[in-house]
Amino acid sequence: MDETRKLQRNYLIYLLIADIVFVVLAFIFLEAPLAFVYGLVFGSAISALNFVELGNTLRRAVTMSPAKAQGYATRKYFVRYIVTGVVLYVSIVAPYINVLGTIIGMTIIKFIIFATNLFNDKQYYKNIFKRKEDEPSGH
Amino acid sequence: METMITGKALVLACSAIGAGLAMIAGIGPGIGQGYAAGKGAEGVGRQPEAQGDIVRTMLLGAAVAETTGIYGLVIALILLFANPLVKLLG
Repeated sequence: MDETRKLQRNYLIYLLIADIVFVVLAFIFLEAPLAFVYGLVFGSAISALNFVELGNTLRRAVTMSPAKAQGYATRKYFVRYIVTGVVLYVSIVAPYINVLGTIIGMTIIKFIIFATNLFNDKQYYKNIFKRKEDEPSGH
Repeated sequence: METMITGKALVLACSAIGAGLAMIAGIGPGIGQGYAAGKGAEGVGRQPEAQGDIVRTMLLGAAVAETTGIYGLVIALILLFANPLVKLLG
């Protein structure tokens, strides 16, 4: 298994853990948790599939010539975008799926990426309050 | 003959225009991802041993970049199929 697939597998495991946390929270705090849970599972399953498909697309795109890779990646993006649109439409139209759950399920993986790559870095927080003028290089 | 435009018709028309404008948000990530993939392919051509690193970095960047497109799509679909503004009219 190459490093990219390992990375994807790790993120999918984090996604599963976050899903379980959200399901538990939904059952504790919401009056009608089942619709929310359906939406959450539906949204996160499709976002996981999209994430895997994105990895496959990029792995293939880097072996092409730059011009071909550009067109290929854009085409594949729009295919994923249409899939996302269909999923959102279904969750809006179907009364037994909560659309908020679907939206949260679709965006969890992005927040996991932020949490594991940006918000776990102390230097990031220090840089927020650091003035560029105070740096020794003088820029 | 004078045609009356009802409040509901006006809200629906403006919502349709808003949904169309929100869909513009979906174009940006597509162009950006394509551009990044092209540059990634160039990078791999220049330094083939860095392919894994390039793909991994691009994967995370592309996944995050898609978010704004999804937000635009959500706004557009909600305006079209679950418009909360129509309910406000009563």
